[in-house]
Amino acid sequence: MASNGKVKLSSGAQKLETARLVFIYVVCVILTVLCLAPFWIMLVNSTRSSASIQEHAISFIPSKYLMDNWSKVLKQSFNPFTGFKNSIIVSTCSTALAVYFSSLTAYAISVYEWKLKNAFFSFIVGVMMIPSQVTMIGFYQMAYKFGWNNQLFALFLPAIASPMMVFFMRQYLQGALSHEIIQSARIDGAGEFYTFNKIVLPIMKPAIATQAIFSFVSSWNRLFEPMVLISADEKKTLPMMVSLLKGDTYKQEFGCIYLGLFLTVLPLIIVYLLLSRYIVAGVALGSVKG
Amino acid sequence: MGKKKTLNYAKYGYIFSIPFVVAYLIFSFYPIINTFLIAFSDLVGPARKDYNFLTGDIFENFKKVLDNPIFKKAFMNTLKLWICNFIPQMVIALLLTAWFTDTRSKVKGQGFFKVVFYMPNIITAATVAILFSTLFGDPVGPMNDLLKTLGFIDKPVKFLTKANVAQNIVIYIQTWMWFGYTMITLISGVIGIDPAIFEAAEMDGSNRFQTFIYITIPCIRTIMLFTLVTSLIGGLNMFDIPKLFIANSGPNYATYTTSVFIQSKAFEGRNLRNEAAAASLIMFVIIVICSAALFYIMRDKDEAEARKLRKQALKQAKLASKGV
Amino acid sequence: MKKFVAGLLAFCMMAGLVTACGKKEDGAVETVEKKDTVKTDDGKIVINLWSFTDEVPKMVDKYIELHPEFGEKYEVKVSITPTTDGAYQPALDTALTGGGADSPDMFCAEAAFVLKYTQGDMSMYAAPYSDLGIDVDKDIADAQIAPYSVDIGTRTADGKVVALGYQATGGAFIYRRSIAKDVFGTDDPAAIADEIGSGSQNWDKFYEAAAKLKENGTPIISGDGDIWHAIENSSEAGWVADDTLVIDGKREAFIDISKDLTDNGWSNQTQDWTEAWYADMAGTSETPCFGFFGPAWLINYTMGEHCDNTYGDWAVCPPPVGFFWGGTWVIANAASSDEVKAGVGELIRWITLDTSETGLQYMWANGTLNGEGGTKDSVASNTVMAKSNGELEFLGGQNMFDVFVPANEYANGKNLTQYDEKINSIWRDQVRQYTAGEATRDEAIENFKTGVAGELGLAV
Repeated sequence: MASNGKVKLSSGAQKLETARLVFIYVVCVILTVLCLAPFWIMLVNSTRSSASIQEHAISFIPSKYLMDNWSKVLKQSFNPFTGFKNSIIVSTCSTALAVYFSSLTAYAISVYEWKLKNAFFSFIVGVMMIPSQVTMIGFYQMAYKFGWNNQLFALFLPAIASPMMVFFMRQYLQGALSHEIIQSARIDGAGEFYTFNKIVLPIMKPAIATQAIFSFVSSWNRLFEPMVLISADEKKTLPMMVSLLKGDTYKQEFGCIYLGLFLTVLPLIIVYLLLSRYIVAGVALGSVKG
Repeated sequence: MGKKKTLNYAKYGYIFSIPFVVAYLIFSFYPIINTFLIAFSDLVGPARKDYNFLTGDIFENFKKVLDNPIFKKAFMNTLKLWICNFIPQMVIALLLTAWFTDTRSKVKGQGFFKVVFYMPNIITAATVAILFSTLFGDPVGPMNDLLKTLGFIDKPVKFLTKANVAQNIVIYIQTWMWFGYTMITLISGVIGIDPAIFEAAEMDGSNRFQTFIYITIPCIRTIMLFTLVTSLIGGLNMFDIPKLFIANSGPNYATYTTSVFIQSKAFEGRNLRNEAAAASLIMFVIIVICSAALFYIMRDKDEAEARKLRKQALKQAKLASKGV
Repeated sequence: MKKFVAGLLAFCMMAGLVTACGKKEDGAVETVEKKDTVKTDDGKIVINLWSFTDEVPKMVDKYIELHPEFGEKYEVKVSITPTTDGAYQPALDTALTGGGADSPDMFCAEAAFVLKYTQGDMSMYAAPYSDLGIDVDKDIADAQIAPYSVDIGTRTADGKVVALGYQATGGAFIYRRSIAKDVFGTDDPAAIADEIGSGSQNWDKFYEAAAKLKENGTPIISGDGDIWHAIENSSEAGWVADDTLVIDGKREAFIDISKDLTDNGWSNQTQDWTEAWYADMAGTSETPCFGFFGPAWLINYTMGEHCDNTYGDWAVCPPPVGFFWGGTWVIANAASSDEVKAGVGELIRWITLDTSETGLQYMWANGTLNGEGGTKDSVASNTVMAKSNGELEFLGGQNMFDVFVPANEYANGKNLTQYDEKINSIWRDQVRQYTAGEATRDEAIENFKTGVAGELGLAV
């Protein structure tokens, strides 16, 4: 970095520099407010009574109905603990499977020279583009035919084949992996599988972390698919339970709904913050040139 | 980066791809084949499992979809919603990338900002939809209240019955949800650039703007391509927000997208599954064409040239070996 | 890309191999593949119950509590999928057609989509009540079930009853007593009935009342959605006949009525089920409206929950035109085995046709299902309502059955189609466009037709 060898700035340029920084901070602060406001609103509304939410949907001052809402939530068919458990199982498994096998597949495509390699890669890029809505009909029918309904694995096993993630991982590997490392591992007598697990995976850690966040978030938030496949109460995920809260035909307990929504997003916030240092550090990927 | 030929290791390429292929065959292949077949069949209604292929005009379903004014509208909406959210999203993301990766002056607290800007992406689409329809509610709603207090209006505005307002809200939501994601991806790309290049540029006296335009952007071209392609795929499949925000379709189909069309054809009303399948194949073809065009426009000319040369060399080597 | 195309071709060839052509039998009602009885480890027969709320599951709990011998023989597994996110019907349809151990033996359908399961595309999965060991004709006559409810639950293909409800959802006009006193000088239901033209089959008197209320600064109703159910149900024809869209004159008139309500300031222009609508019930909006159109459940479950401030300030009178709104029908799966059907039949009979004081409906009408003092509701059987107490404190002590029993008679179950849910949502959207001044009347109707043709593939 050239940060130490900075050229001295003239006072006019310095003013410009300050103005630029002020502008940057103003924009960033506005964006921060826009990004965080919904979380705050959710949190505040989960402490408010339904009646006051009806009057003024948005408030920035918390109220005192949190426990009230909590007991109402528990009284309905909402079991946050079961939901949490199932959501964790589905999201963790699908994230782990997606990340591991996508890395493996990407590794196969970018390191080895094999006949069908390019065709396979084109295939992956191709299937990445298939709209997911209607393939669902076939998937549901198949799931019922084989008795995969009410099985959590039907929700996470398909993650093994995640074309979009393979595509990303491949782009990353192309830039980050040097063949010398693999070669030297081979010389040391390491098996290919060992090399992948012990040497390549650690190199991919930053990419894995970002992709893990994306994958965890999207699988945690999935709603329609589990709703069609899971009918047993003990297998329901958190978003499904929030949907049950909303689904009362007669009345809307807004306070409870917001509490449910907040409970759903809370674990995500925690997981995200844990992995966020990779986002801060940034994932180097792609075209290292030179 | 000369790749070494590792022919003896080729089998591992196959072995390591097996899990993906097997999972794909089990979970996706049948559904996709199914969709493909249904598109040429008479499958209508929720109860039927068996169907007959169309005997007369086998492309009847495709024609019906292409002639359908609602589908045309959905397609134009999808395109509009995607382009209008992609451009600001890219602009904001690029701007932030330029600021956060600037080697000359570091923006303090950028770690915090980076973390926060991705946050909108972790809220469920359902929640976002609820929040925004509440926000723009009428006759009472925070936005109406605000405008009234500020004196801009004296009668509540029916935001959600106005087509352009509904569209703009969806565009805003999409931009808001995805600019952080795009920014993170772009920053990853910039970090991958050799710092020496920037140093050299600074030595040559190029200013920030010039550095960004002439050095950074060309260097992250592949990442931008990735972003563009994934965003195109995501955008043309846009579903959650349009579906959940204002009862399926918005005012007079203003936020009706092709994915909502497909889903509603397949699962609602008459369950016209054959037309839904045809519509999804049409969208698939459109996405493939658009992506191919993007790949072509943004292709790395040097790289392509190099690949061609390599291929030729390989061929000659093969020929030579056969000759021997 | 070339390779990709090659892959696609291979793909198509594979497709050819998987081809499966089936034949559909032409008969009155298609027969469905039977499913086997599922038993728990301790030998109980499993009944899968699917619903979109916990209402029916709670009734079943009560039945088992009252009849322990049923609980020894059967195990009821409950699955609730709400309708709000649009997953209930896809899930139910896939489960019914997919069959298997987890597929429903007994399921609930709401007024908005019940026709699909009783007369429409999924009706072959509905078992006639007579197959469940229910003497259905005699029971219906004894219980005096409202005719609209039977009409909806009767399969047109073979004329058999396949679904009945426990509620009767005939509608009334529910108004604020205090406002009535201010404007009309009385809160007596008979007088107000006169003011709004109850039973007149047109909206003239209602408009007059609206104008009178307007002078007082009070809108007569909250939004056009409130009046829609009354208009929808008063039409002669349903939306669809012979795969062609039919726009009944009375339904078309809704677009003008809606416009009038807005232009004259006769409504607060709310949409049902939004915060503003609830605020009108609670009396916390700027100009709380005079009343709502709705059945007994709207009073007891919705308004009761939202009207702390206006509790006791309400009364009901008959509406200008008869209608019904909502309701849940209970259906048995035709695919279930006979031993399962016997159990389901027992539950269904208790829920829909038992008129005794230990039957569900008696408890439902008197609010005693979960102990004394529970929520009272109007029920399907007039016999039960005749011997029940419908007095509500919420209505200032008025006996709601006085209004709702006749209301159920006026409701019409013959102008519905299985596509109503979709068509209504398109229609309501276009009416809103016109009312809000975003489209002209002709444009709105044209767009409505385009929407119906485009989404449902019906001729217009």
